[in-house]
Amino acid sequence: MKSNFAFFIGVFVAVLISWGMLMGANVQLGSLAPYFDETDGTTHPEWMPGIAAQGQLVYRDLGCAACHTQQVRRDGMGPDLARGWGDRQSVARDYIYQPAPQLGNNRIGPDLTNLGDRKPSAPDSDDLLNLLYSGADGMPSYRFLFETRRIGAGAQPSDKALSLVGALRPPQGYEIVPTLEAESLVGYLVNLRTTYTYPEARPYVVPKGQNPEVKPAAAAAAGGAK
Amino acid sequence: MSSTPERTGVDAASRWPLLLLLASAVSWLVVAGVLSLLAALQLREPAFMAGCPVLTYGHTAAIAETAFVYGWLANAGLALGLWVLGRLSGEPLRAQNWALAGCAFWNIGVTMAIVGIAAGDTTGFELLQLPGYVQPLMLFSYGAVAVSGILAWSGRLRRTPFVSHWYAAAALFTLPWVLSVAHVMLFRAPARGVMQEVVAAWFEQSAWWIWIAPLALSAAYYVVPKVTGKALYAYDYALVGFLSVLIVGGLTAGRHLVGGPFPAWLDSVAVVSGCLLFGHAIIVLLNLRLAFTGRGIALKFIAFGLLCYALLVIVDAATSFTGVAGQAGLTFLHEAQKQLALYGAATALFYGAIYYAVPRITGRAWLSGLLVRAHLFLAILGIVALVACLVLAACAQGRGLAQASVPFSQITASTRPWLAGACAAQAILLLANFLLAVNFFGTACELSKIAPKAEFADAAGSAAS
Repeated sequence: MKSNFAFFIGVFVAVLISWGMLMGANVQLGSLAPYFDETDGTTHPEWMPGIAAQGQLVYRDLGCAACHTQQVRRDGMGPDLARGWGDRQSVARDYIYQPAPQLGNNRIGPDLTNLGDRKPSAPDSDDLLNLLYSGADGMPSYRFLFETRRIGAGAQPSDKALSLVGALRPPQGYEIVPTLEAESLVGYLVNLRTTYTYPEARPYVVPKGQNPEVKPAAAAAAGGAK
Repeated sequence: MSSTPERTGVDAASRWPLLLLLASAVSWLVVAGVLSLLAALQLREPAFMAGCPVLTYGHTAAIAETAFVYGWLANAGLALGLWVLGRLSGEPLRAQNWALAGCAFWNIGVTMAIVGIAAGDTTGFELLQLPGYVQPLMLFSYGAVAVSGILAWSGRLRRTPFVSHWYAAAALFTLPWVLSVAHVMLFRAPARGVMQEVVAAWFEQSAWWIWIAPLALSAAYYVVPKVTGKALYAYDYALVGFLSVLIVGGLTAGRHLVGGPFPAWLDSVAVVSGCLLFGHAIIVLLNLRLAFTGRGIALKFIAFGLLCYALLVIVDAATSFTGVAGQAGLTFLHEAQKQLALYGAATALFYGAIYYAVPRITGRAWLSGLLVRAHLFLAILGIVALVACLVLAACAQGRGLAQASVPFSQITASTRPWLAGACAAQAILLLANFLLAVNFFGTACELSKIAPKAEFADAAGSAAS
């Protein structure tokens, strides 16, 4: 500790150790390739459509991840699968094409990983636009993503206008239409789906009463398929 | 240690950079208090300010955190770090212009970050909500402030530094280290997919364990022996405590990733390193056990901060285990842990050190002893209430999330009373911090008057008030 140089080199090296862990994870995660399914010749995950990629940036910029997660956890880590948030756990390969994955860390609202394929029924664009405009119990409304426009004399209302009821309905002669931001956000949300099951998303479950150390040959082959 | 007056020419000659840093810190603390209250109200009542595009909950929470961490904790930590290192060197701080300019640009950086987040450049990474374009400015301005501290360190009187100086000098160095790595891996050449979350978790844990916590510990390690007039207990082990947190701190990153789409070994590393931190916490508590004698305002805050620190180590390690994280992960417990660390541990230690340092830096006694006592009472009440309400909200939320049949509206309803409690706690903390600001600026303004210098009766009298 007497030498200045030795002190700062020591601090540098100490931090380097945890950075080494980061590099180890990067070797493992950074080289993840898309999965090619030989049985039907498709590659997964698929790229998001353009509007959905834009929508992910809107999602990030509004800070939606403060209340919504996008990670389905396996059984034993909570009833995510039983809630219908997904058919399987999320795996790292799901996110390789996402420029800014939004995993989140607090479930103030429901998980959205597989919103476009939610069971028993997935919301469609109109449902989501109405929800964004009106808000819900526990969720604020995002009216600034919409504009209230006057319908010109003799003009048709926009085919994008929201169909609202009750107190939310705009005055006669006006309509509420989503801005580009709202449309891309909803385009993103309806495209959130993790329907393809990768081999690593099917963890080998040890049958009850069996010694996990001794796998039967067949189970070992199924569990080891990567 | 001796009964001679504490204040030295060193403090008087290096007071302007220290006062600028402290004034910025206290101002940001009040700003952060207002924003945290706003965020807490939005959490309780989502419709509150919902029509305002710059103040969605995601934005207010991120802005409040940025103002708190980079406005208050960083400025206060740098001020106390420079003060400790300057006293070690035995001469006035060198490169004061660097520190002054660095502090000014740091504050500009924080302001730019807040405007950027409000405009929609949210990063979504905890403790790193600064938009990517502000980070180089933050790096350089932190470096400029650090120049002064590094010069004081290298020009020290005694060859062998004290433990408080290790922590302060290391913290000057570690933030640029980890921030530059995170900047490259998240913004310049973004890592692929979930690797970004791993980098963000590593930064979050590193920023806490090897940047903010060392700054707070440095202040505590300096003030406790000064106030009690006794040497640190079990000093020989202090080096082990220092090195262990420095090595292990970043390795606890896996705590944020349990159960998610990440390699499982990250979690195992987090469990092991979280348990290794028990050793660090025990050494810190042993070294500083005299803080629990509770003499004076500084020691009361420091004792409270140390208790929170120890509790944090236990809770952090516990939540790294898969079984616990399955129940408690992805709930408000995460927020509770963050507040326990940033408010309970770091802020309380800074409060204690500020109450000791400011009269010595300014040469004036605290303006009002009543305000000091009111601040102590309100701050501790607020911190305990805030963490407790968040933990109870997490319990209600975790119970609901654990049963697939419980609908979300029911979970929301069950957390509401506790979130209302968190609002009240934030209001108490805002009031407490406002009192601190009044007292601090009142004391600093006394400098413009020609007043008799404060008398420091003996080294054991902590606050001159």
